[in-house]
Amino acid sequence: MADDVRSLTTELARDPRSLVYADLAEALRKLGQREEALQVVLQGLTRHPMHADGHDCLARIYADMGDLERARLAWSKALEIAPDHMGSLRGVAFLLFRQGDLVAAEAALQKVLAREPADDGAGRALEVVRRGLAGSAPPPVRAARPAPRMTEPRLLGATRPEIFHGFDGATADILLLDQRGLVLGGGLTDRDGKDASELAAAALAGVSGEASRTTEYLGLESWSAIVAEAENAHLVVAPVGPGALLLVRRDRSIAVGLALRFAERARGIALAWLDRQGA
Amino acid sequence: MSAPDVGRRRTGAAAAPPAGSGAGSSASEQLQRALDRISRVRGVRGSMWVAADDGIPVAQLLMEGVRGKAIAALAASLARKVSGASAATGAGRVRFVQMEAAGGTLLVAPASDDLLIVALADSRVNIGLARLEMIRAAEAAHA
Repeated sequence: MADDVRSLTTELARDPRSLVYADLAEALRKLGQREEALQVVLQGLTRHPMHADGHDCLARIYADMGDLERARLAWSKALEIAPDHMGSLRGVAFLLFRQGDLVAAEAALQKVLAREPADDGAGRALEVVRRGLAGSAPPPVRAARPAPRMTEPRLLGATRPEIFHGFDGATADILLLDQRGLVLGGGLTDRDGKDASELAAAALAGVSGEASRTTEYLGLESWSAIVAEAENAHLVVAPVGPGALLLVRRDRSIAVGLALRFAERARGIALAWLDRQGA
Repeated sequence: MSAPDVGRRRTGAAAAPPAGSGAGSSASEQLQRALDRISRVRGVRGSMWVAADDGIPVAQLLMEGVRGKAIAALAASLARKVSGASAATGAGRVRFVQMEAAGGTLLVAPASDDLLIVALADSRVNIGLARLEMIRAAEAAHA
């Protein structure tokens, strides 16, 4: 397995756009290196946001970490992209089973077996679920507690601190993240209105340190902002004290200078918030 | 300003061919002309074509003392990460990136999947003009 990781790492280094990132993340997950696996798969998904295998792998990592809500979201995304994705169908069934939602688990397992009748694992799981439903076997995990449901992926973002309350786009266009690519607050959605905060944050992991080191080396002193003009929007990235970054998205119709001013105001709010947190 | 240094790397159709090779000389000249135009903008201390994947300079026109390799590596990494964030949020393909620092500005325009055009400028630079020249060069290389 460690050899697999080495060869897959080499392959990914040779071609960073390769889909092999999902295999590497899965190998790391199996070795128990969950944080590393998470980093690899989130980076891969920034390049391949419509790669169902990548979302499936992300879900497995979250499930291993015990974060069943995020696992469910990731499997839902994979099935949205590829409705017959077997790994994700099995994953959803596993999740429902683990959450004690036996009725939904039975339906999910039947869906798996309808596509792959020879899937012994799914067959055995279905038997266990049916025994549980008939009362002949104890429910697998916390049966009395209903499975938590998230009807909209954006609810994930709604639980984050509302740092930019009152700002235009406070939970959809402004994101505060740390230098490791983890979300601190705010939120960003994609064009379909779905939460894209984690993917965006992961894509920017390391930017702050790299920019600081290189600008100092080049004699440019400290950096204050990165402005990107994209097809549909302007993005502004700005350092917020030590170790945090702000990402602001503004419509293309807004002048770059105004986007910068908006980001500067949001930066002030973020600094004050971080200060209050003692960060 | 040191003489143009056209590298040996090939990066697709817009790549710089080995200096002196007859068939590709027009492509090489096109790259050099673009660097020349960008470097004439007041405040620009150097410009370069950079391989997007590995951040290695393909061709460059730099003032003495400007550290081309470090600029190229940072520009490629910056373009990759900002493009990732842009794709994740549905902002689409990135056309131009500007990193502002107290002592100057780094400008990056992706010309294709393989190639970036990069400029380093001091604080006196006319960014609007440099941006226009870089986007023009990027579009010409992409065509």
